[in-house]
This record gives sequence, C-alpha cells and structure tokens, in this order.
Amino acid sequence: MTLVSLRDVSVAFPRRGTGVLHGIALEIAPGERMLVIGGSGSGKSTLLQLVTGVIPHSVTAQVEGTVTVSGVDTRTTSVVDLSRTVAVLAQDPASGICLPTVEEEIALPLENRGVDPTAISGLIDAALCSAGVAHLRTRRTTRLSGGEGQRVALAAALAAGPALLLLDEPTSMLDSEGVAAVRDAIASSVARYAPAVVLVEHRLDEFAGHAGLAALPERTIVLGAAGTLAADGPTREVLADHARMLTAAGCWLPIGNELDAVFGTVGGLESPAVRAGLTSLARRSTADEAADDPGPGRGTTLLAATALSVSRTRRPRRSRAPYTPVLSGVDLDLHAGQVVALLGANGSGKSTLLLTLAGLLPAAAGAVTGERPGMVFQNPEHQFVAHTVSDEVGYGLPPGSGSLVARLLDSHGLAHLADQSPHRLSGGEKRRVSLAAMLAHGRGTLLADEPTFGLDRRATISVITALRGAARDGAAVLFSSHDLRTVATLADRAVVVADGRMIANGPVFEVLRDAAVLESAHLGLPPLVRWLLENAGSDAGVLRALRALDAEVPVEAVAAS
Amino acid sequence: MTVADSPLARRNPTVKFALLVVVSLALLFVFEPVTPAVLYGIALVAVAASSGIRPRLLLVGHLPFVGVAVGLLLVNALSRPGTEIMRLGLLRVTAEGVEVGAALGFRTLVIGVLALGFVVSTDGVRLMTSLHQHARLGLRFTYAVLAGYRTLEELPREWQLIRHAHAVRTRAARGHPLGDVRAFARAAFALLVVSLRRGERLAMALESRGLGLAPRTIWRPVALTGTDVVFAAGSLLVLATVFALTLPR
Repeated sequence: MTLVSLRDVSVAFPRRGTGVLHGIALEIAPGERMLVIGGSGSGKSTLLQLVTGVIPHSVTAQVEGTVTVSGVDTRTTSVVDLSRTVAVLAQDPASGICLPTVEEEIALPLENRGVDPTAISGLIDAALCSAGVAHLRTRRTTRLSGGEGQRVALAAALAAGPALLLLDEPTSMLDSEGVAAVRDAIASSVARYAPAVVLVEHRLDEFAGHAGLAALPERTIVLGAAGTLAADGPTREVLADHARMLTAAGCWLPIGNELDAVFGTVGGLESPAVRAGLTSLARRSTADEAADDPGPGRGTTLLAATALSVSRTRRPRRSRAPYTPVLSGVDLDLHAGQVVALLGANGSGKSTLLLTLAGLLPAAAGAVTGERPGMVFQNPEHQFVAHTVSDEVGYGLPPGSGSLVARLLDSHGLAHLADQSPHRLSGGEKRRVSLAAMLAHGRGTLLADEPTFGLDRRATISVITALRGAARDGAAVLFSSHDLRTVATLADRAVVVADGRMIANGPVFEVLRDAAVLESAHLGLPPLVRWLLENAGSDAGVLRALRALDAEVPVEAVAAS
Repeated sequence: MTVADSPLARRNPTVKFALLVVVSLALLFVFEPVTPAVLYGIALVAVAASSGIRPRLLLVGHLPFVGVAVGLLLVNALSRPGTEIMRLGLLRVTAEGVEVGAALGFRTLVIGVLALGFVVSTDGVRLMTSLHQHARLGLRFTYAVLAGYRTLEELPREWQLIRHAHAVRTRAARGHPLGDVRAFARAAFALLVVSLRRGERLAMALESRGLGLAPRTIWRPVALTGTDVVFAAGSLLVLATVFALTLPR
C-alpha cells in the first residue's frame, strides 16, 4: 500500500514563464523516510505544497497528472481534510505557532480531530516529552527561543499521530545549539510516532550532526534544474553519484560527498587521495588565485570604537537595580581593505553591537568615531523601500546615477531582474539586491548582520565575493556569522564576543586555532576547516584550499568592480 | 498576561462581555449625572472586591478614562447653550452643560472600570472558546483573532527593526519634514508586507493543524453554570433598581 503517490505530475505557475516540476513520478510507503534535495528554484517547496494540497487549493497553479494521499486525490480534498494524514513543520518557528500558551497549541490539533477531551492532557504530555520540551507545557509561546519554538511546533504537528510528516528546512533559521536540539527532537518524535517523513533540507551536515549520513533518511530524491526527478534511491548512493551535479547546482553537500566529487575518490576527509588533493590545493598557487587577492592590505582606520558598551535599552533613570549592558569595554578598529568577522553565540550582543556601530542605537558608554557606516540586515525584506529591483539599488542616489545602477545590477547578476519586485525574488537574489543597494552609496564602512544566513552554497559564495570585492575597493567590512567555513574563506580578522565582553580580536586563523575562545563562544569548527588548519601547512594554504573548493561552484558574475 | 483566580475570573466570559455591552447600551440614553454616578460607585466597589485587581493597577488603569471624562465635562460645560451659572472671561459655563458633561463623564468612568474588571479577569483563549461555545461565534473567526493577537504582540519589535533597517538606507532625508513622512510611509509599507506574509503562514499553520475538521471536541470547555445565571440576573437587577430610583420621571 502506498501513502503518497505522484503520477506524472507537472506544475506550472501563471505569470512565470517555465514550469517548476516536470513529469514527476513518485511513491512513498507508510513509515518510509525520504530526503528531497535540489538547487534553489528546483521545486522542492512546490513538491511539499502538492502533498499538503496547498497547490492547487490555496496557490493557483496549472497541475497535470494526479497526486493521491492516503488514496484520495488532492484536487478533490481540501487542505484541512488532508491534514488528518499530513502534518507540516515549516522553517520559521515564529509563524508556525498560533496560540498564546504551549499546551493550548498542542491541544488544538487534538481537539480538531475530535479526540476525547479526557485523553488530551496525557497526549499533550506525550508529544512534548518526545520533543524534549515537557518542561515548557505552561510557558507563554512569546517567551520561546527559536529552538524551543520549533520543538513545540513539532510536538503540535505530531500530537494527533498523522501518517506523514513534512519537514521544510526545519533547522535553517536556528543557531547551532538550536539545530542540535531540534535534530534530537525530530529523531525521538519520529521514533515514537513512526510517521512517513519527507525532509527538505539544504545544510545536510549541520542537520545530521556527528552521526553523519546515518542521521539522514534512508532514501533520497534529487530534483534537477529543469524540475525533473534526477535521482531516486538510497541516500548514500544518490549523494555519491550526484555530488558533482549537486555541487554545480549550488547545493550544500555533506563534506565527505563534496570532497569525493572534487577529487574523484571515495572516503571523504579520511581518504588519503582527498588529503593529498587538499594538500596540493593548499600548496598550489594558480594564476586566478594570485589575481584574486593581494593579501590583507591594512589601510587607514575608517571606524573606531573605544571602551564601547552597547545595550538595547536605555539606562533606567530612577531604578536602583544594577544595569548591565549586553556588551561592554569593546575596543575595535575597522581598517580600509579589511574584512572582519564578528563571532559569538545567539544573544551574545552581536546584532546590538552592529546597530550601535551603525549609529542606530546610542552607545551605553564609550564612543564610536568615523563616518556613518552602511549596514545590511539579516532579513533583506526589512530593508526594501522600492517596488522594483533597479529602483531599490538606485534609492537615495543623486539624479543621473543611471549608469552606476546599471553597472551594479550587472556585476551582482541582477540585470535580468531589474523590473521585478524585490519581494518576489529568491533568498539569494534578495540578499544580492540588498548588498548592491548598500554598496551603491560607496560608504567607507559596511556592516552586515548574518549576510549568508539560510542561503544555499551558490548564494553564500556570491556574498563572499561581493564583500571581498567591497574590501578590495577600499571599504572596511564587518560581518557577523555562525558559519566558520564562510568566516575562514572571507575574513582577514575575527572578533569574538562572549559573556558580555570581547574575548578575542586577531587574525582570523589565529582566532580559529584558539580552542578556548571557540569553546566559550559555543562555536564548533567544521571538520574540513579543522583538518586544513592542522594540515595545510600555512594560513595562506588554508585559504587557497577553501577558495579552490568554492571555485568548483559556477557562480553568476558577482565581482564588484 | 496571565489571569489570577478571583470570583470574577471564575464567571463565564461571554456573560461578562454581554453585561458590559448591556450597561454601555443602557447608559447611552442617560443624560443626567446621578444615575451614572451611582452606577460608577457600585461598579468600582464590585470590581475592586471581586476581580482581585491590584489597587495600583486600578488607579493607573483609570487615568485614560478620567482624562476623557474631564474633557467631556469641560467641553460640554463651556459650549452647551443654557442658563449661565458662571463666567470665566469670555467663556460662560451653563447648568445644562455641566449636567450633560457630568453625565457623559460618569458614563465613561462606568464603562472604563467595568472594562478594567473584564480585562484583568478574562483569559483570551477562554473568552474565544466561550464566545464559540455560548455565542455561536465561528471557529475560524475566534482562532484568527487569537493568532492575530500573537502577530500584534510582535509588531512593535518588527516596526523598530524596519525603522532601523530603513534609516541606514538614507543619508540626506533626516530632519526634512516631507522626507520623514515619506520614510514613515515606506516603513509602514514594509511592515504591511512582512505582516501579510506572517498572517499567510499562520493561516497555513492553522489549516495544517486541522482547524475546520468536524466533528471536533473542546479540551477544556468553559462552564456556564447556575452561578453565572444568578450573577447575570443580580447584575441586571442592580442596574434596573438604580435606574428606577435615580432617573427623574
């Protein structure tokens, strides 16, 4: 018996030229677990929406072929009726939770399915328990952290025991601690409720954690660029066989698969061939790398913070309670031509520091000197002010800046999107628009809050290229990030904040080698970066190897001129 | 906000809401001050005694209503035509004006103190469950209100973030009044877009939790007991008695 069946399904959206899915044929058995991967825009979300019935009931699309869930055709069954079988855990914890308290949130799906009221309390406990959040039962939902919210949403999705659980990038908006907690919650909840699982995820290494491929679903399908089913089989084989194609499509792969594909071997970081290959990448100095970077040329100081304390709230005027700013005693110089990474756990004050340096929050103590910097925010949508991409990039520029705008659109790979609304773009495209719009003003200092958050690998590399380009043109760049591979590839220096102060400020590889500093900031080195730091011979070698690996991904022209 | 247990908190939310509406409607037809003044006294004592409201909150909660009441009194006393009882420079105070102004002012205070009692003694989810159970309000409506309330709680933070995010986009417009208005409009548009997105996702989340399936059960139904009937009848009796004793015939 099959639970979900897609027979020759094609989906096209009106107003978008091409179809999103073509001739997909697929069956999922009860209890089966399946991973869906594919590049940005390959139709992963569309596939999930077909199964929930959101397509065609809430989103208009032309659908050919038939989709059946539990034997019923999704065209003739409403989303609400399908919810008896299908549960969803979406990306954003903030919009997956609807009610004021945790227990009411979990009770809602049980009430809706007509569960006997006397049994509901016990079922709430069971669901919270298997998601590892039994202690949050009476908590207000506004007081939940991202990781807690996502686990509560998981408990609500599974409480009524649906036959199918759809996971739509469930950890992509969490920090590393949140990812670990949600990963464990999914494992134990799926073990208890035994639904079939469809997982869409693009940071596979982060999602799988130490268990590696064993923590991923046994079956994987790959959606190709044209929206076709490019592969369907056991996860290990599919990842190994299609690693090259997936790398080229800009997907993040488990590091072992990525390296095997680059060096044409098997065994990942443990394999002698991969190690030899990485060592030679580190040693070799190819022509394009020589042209890429003249090294950290340290120019004049463009922005300086002295004895700076930062806080979201003002010092209370009358209260006698001790007042502690989120960070204090920060001394920091940003130099022309240098990229500095800002590292620290969630809630350590990184964003508050960036807002204060940008002049948007008053300093609680100390001073910031220098020309007012530009800043790009974590969510590009918060910063959009215009209705087309070209107006967005040209916003606030003096009249007659048309050629500058055209050049920026071109160099950031946005020319073909010039007349689109910035709100309708993909995540990677939105990020490129927000960077181009900020770079248009040519300000001395550029601040960026988590600029690569939630992006696929291709988009991440575009951001790295754009920020390096800005530094090469003489800007001072400061960006915050959790992703230490990106940090190692992009930054010249790194600053680490933890426990209310700055605990490190030095050359990036020196900081990344300092185990004590990483430990206190809850940062874990990715295995690739760790191996390179130990074996590449020199810091320049680490950088060469990382950039050579990124060069395997074909990227739209994004060189800031 | 969590609701502490109190005699008023144990009463049915729909009954409380209905009584609040009845008192407000009844006072619409009263233009002399004694009836609302007496009702205000009774309501104040009843709310203080039965809702467990902290005295400080009762006092601070009064401020906006006192402000409106004083405003109503002054405007009416100074602007209504009628018998002059006092003259302040160019302004004349009329007896009719004082009477109507005091009536409207006390009306505001009665509704204000009852609303305070209602808010501190009623949990949002219980109210919505009860309105669905006892007032036959649609589920889609009641849960949309609850989910909307969650979005509303996030709005101030979101607004601050957008204002910051926009402030770095412009260098020159600061301080220019027209520039400020435009910047405000742009931020409002961005907030609208972000909120609409969130609302859409919340609606999808509610559907995926099976809201709208039938038959459905209610985990903790809100009770409608004999005590609620006595409470409602008693309140209406007090209202009728005050009207009967104080209204001029």
